Amino acid sequence: MGTLEKLLIDGLLHLFSVEQLNNALSDPRTVAIIIGAMVAVSGAWLGIFLMLRKMSMTSDAISHTVLLGIVVAFIILTKGFNQEPDLSSIWLIIGAAASGVLTVFLTELVYRSGVVKADSALGLIFPFLFAIAVILVSRYVDKSHLDTHAVFVGEIGVAWSNTNSYCFDNCEEVTITPNDERAEVGRECSNCATEGINPRDPKAEFIEVCANCGTYSAAEAWQKRLTDTPPELVFWPKSLTTMGLITLLNMAFVTLLYKELKLTTFDGGLAAALGFRPGLLNYLLMMLVSVTAVGAFDAVGSILVIAFFIIPAATAYILTERLWVMLVLAPIFGALGVYTGYNFSRGDFLGIYQISNLLKFLDRTIGLDGYTTWNTSISASMVIMTFVFFLLAWVVSPRYGLVSNVVRRALQRRQFRDQLMLMHIANHQNTPEAIDECTVEHLPEHLHWSEQQVQRVVGRLRLRNLIQLEGSLVKLTERGHQRVENFTLHYIHS
Amino acid sequence: MSRPENRIWILIGGLTLLFILFIPLSIILFDVEYDYTLRVVSLGGATLGVVSGVLGCFATLRKQSLMGDALSHAALPGVAIAFLVAGRELTWLLVGAGIAGWLAALFINAILKTTRIKQDTAMGMTLAAFFAFGLALLSYIQGRGDGDQAGLNRFIFGQAAAIGIDEIRLTVIVGIGVFLCIGLFWKEFKLLTFDLEFARTNGFPTRLLDIFLSTLVVVAIVLGLQLAGVILMVGLLIGPAVAARQWTNHLGQMVILSAIFGAFSGATGAIASAIDTGLPTGPMIIVTAFAIGLFSIGFAPERGVIWRLWRQRKDKERFTGSGGSGERVGTALGKVMS
Repeated sequence: MGTLEKLLIDGLLHLFSVEQLNNALSDPRTVAIIIGAMVAVSGAWLGIFLMLRKMSMTSDAISHTVLLGIVVAFIILTKGFNQEPDLSSIWLIIGAAASGVLTVFLTELVYRSGVVKADSALGLIFPFLFAIAVILVSRYVDKSHLDTHAVFVGEIGVAWSNTNSYCFDNCEEVTITPNDERAEVGRECSNCATEGINPRDPKAEFIEVCANCGTYSAAEAWQKRLTDTPPELVFWPKSLTTMGLITLLNMAFVTLLYKELKLTTFDGGLAAALGFRPGLLNYLLMMLVSVTAVGAFDAVGSILVIAFFIIPAATAYILTERLWVMLVLAPIFGALGVYTGYNFSRGDFLGIYQISNLLKFLDRTIGLDGYTTWNTSISASMVIMTFVFFLLAWVVSPRYGLVSNVVRRALQRRQFRDQLMLMHIANHQNTPEAIDECTVEHLPEHLHWSEQQVQRVVGRLRLRNLIQLEGSLVKLTERGHQRVENFTLHYIHS
Repeated sequence: MSRPENRIWILIGGLTLLFILFIPLSIILFDVEYDYTLRVVSLGGATLGVVSGVLGCFATLRKQSLMGDALSHAALPGVAIAFLVAGRELTWLLVGAGIAGWLAALFINAILKTTRIKQDTAMGMTLAAFFAFGLALLSYIQGRGDGDQAGLNRFIFGQAAAIGIDEIRLTVIVGIGVFLCIGLFWKEFKLLTFDLEFARTNGFPTRLLDIFLSTLVVVAIVLGLQLAGVILMVGLLIGPAVAARQWTNHLGQMVILSAIFGAFSGATGAIASAIDTGLPTGPMIIVTAFAIGLFSIGFAPERGVIWRLWRQRKDKERFTGSGGSGERVGTALGKVMS
């Protein structure tokens, strides 16, 4: 991973100066938004397929059970190999992927027994695996080594501070020998402790000790003021690489296996019959979900990560019917949520409202002890804003939106009334009871409408030249006859 | 009454007896010392197990098992807002949790009714969004630097040690209320669970009943939040119900069995964690519930996996013909084939 990061930085240094790069990478906001956007893009692409396969809750289950994989890998590494892995260690990610697959496998095993429904099977397995993980944590893991709170909540705001450093200029190591003029040489009594005597004692023997001898990397040397020229260092946040690789992996998976994914998602039976392996693909998908969940732990924590799987996908789903459009829209909504979410965590709602105003108002009305600063969890704010975009889409979506639903219903109601009126007149005009049935005065009674309603429909139909009034008697025009014939034919055929 | 039904009643009676003998047995066999804390915690676990066992039956039968998961997460912002408005008072925190969970249930229903989004996605989305809102509020509260906000975190993971006799009293009172509701609306809930369309055409207010049942589930979850935490609560809802389903085909028997299994899980989990102090209570309860569920799926008569394998083998033996009766079947089959 080190060489990869170095290559990447080399490439970036062609475009920016070291200073610019360091400024960007040490800005919590930039790093948080970049990492968040990568989580959003990977989550959205996998989430679309999860949603279409009706497996959204599986991602919830997996995001909990990966804890088991992490804990087991952690215990093996610490107890067996005496290592101290951090959350972005490759072994923890492998453990997490394995536990994700285990979750799906066990759930299917229970489901296949035929006596438990699919959702119950999932609800039986994942709390169990999670419970085991919690027991293991409280039993064998020292709290200071594996921060479970970080696993659940995560903090994207500090992602910038966990870095690898790379040196590009003035990178000479500094070695200090006892003869060096910079060496701090002191004398130490070698037999005072063993003989129990005072250093002033004549029997005391002394040796020369160098306090700062050894080899220093360029950065350490600069810190200890051993060199005059500062080395040019680039501090590269670790999660940037981890999450970047995971995003690339997910994108490669979806683009390369697009056809297979599409087929197995929409018609698993056909896919199996054609010789594809729906089961294999399913496990591959679940593995990537687990890996993404773990990669995102650093940033957003295990519970909120499912928001990035589900919410952007659902937003795209109510806006379009085409799979490829969803694949374009969902990451955009995810990334938008991340970007605006960062600002929201600092109290700025889409640039149109300051949360502190609301807090001040609440402070005046119900009392918040005067604390009106809205400075809150960044990852949670990102999820909230992603959800706000869903709500917007839900309201304005052209096909499934609340507004378009209301409009469509109103139009349908209107069309239905028009047709009912036209039918009624077509049935009764030129018959003896027309005088009774088809006058403006009697229509309310026969159609069970209010008078205003009848007035409105009559007005509308006259305007469109479908009916005419002879006194108060309503009659169809030529155009009206044509219209009635058309829609009766339409209804008969459909 | 047919024979298998009687068998289940005997089983229920036996289990109840075992449950009553549970305390003396555990004293004799495991040397458990029933001090005040353990009495309180195990009693709390058992009561909670009964309530969630009963309601879990309806949830699992209606294919809404994971609803419990969604609603328990969604309760968090309610807890936070109640804390901001009313302070540390437990009753208000629970009321807040209940209202938030209830709103989440309504929200899920609204999404399902007005869009083409399926239930799992609607639940996952509501869960995540509500939980995020709760976390944002919690971090606002933490930022405020309240001395006494520490108690809020226990709603995420559950903390049995924090349970006191007042909480138990509350659980018992609310539990009795829940049972009364279920008793009064037994027929309606049964109908809603097994034949929604029939209920609707017969003029039952299915929407209202649906909301009512969801509300009761929310109540059970809210009661469990303190002991098991938002993440594990779903296990206590599903485990006993799935286990009970394997032993019987009658809703009444299933509910009673599920209550017994739930009580057993709750009490055993609490006691196991008391014997070995390194074990957290909530997860131990869930592991017990899971073990009962797994045992039932494997060994229950009629439905269990082992039972069915055994019967298949017997059927096969009968078919391939062992002894006189087999031959007769064989010849009969031969006649049919020719």
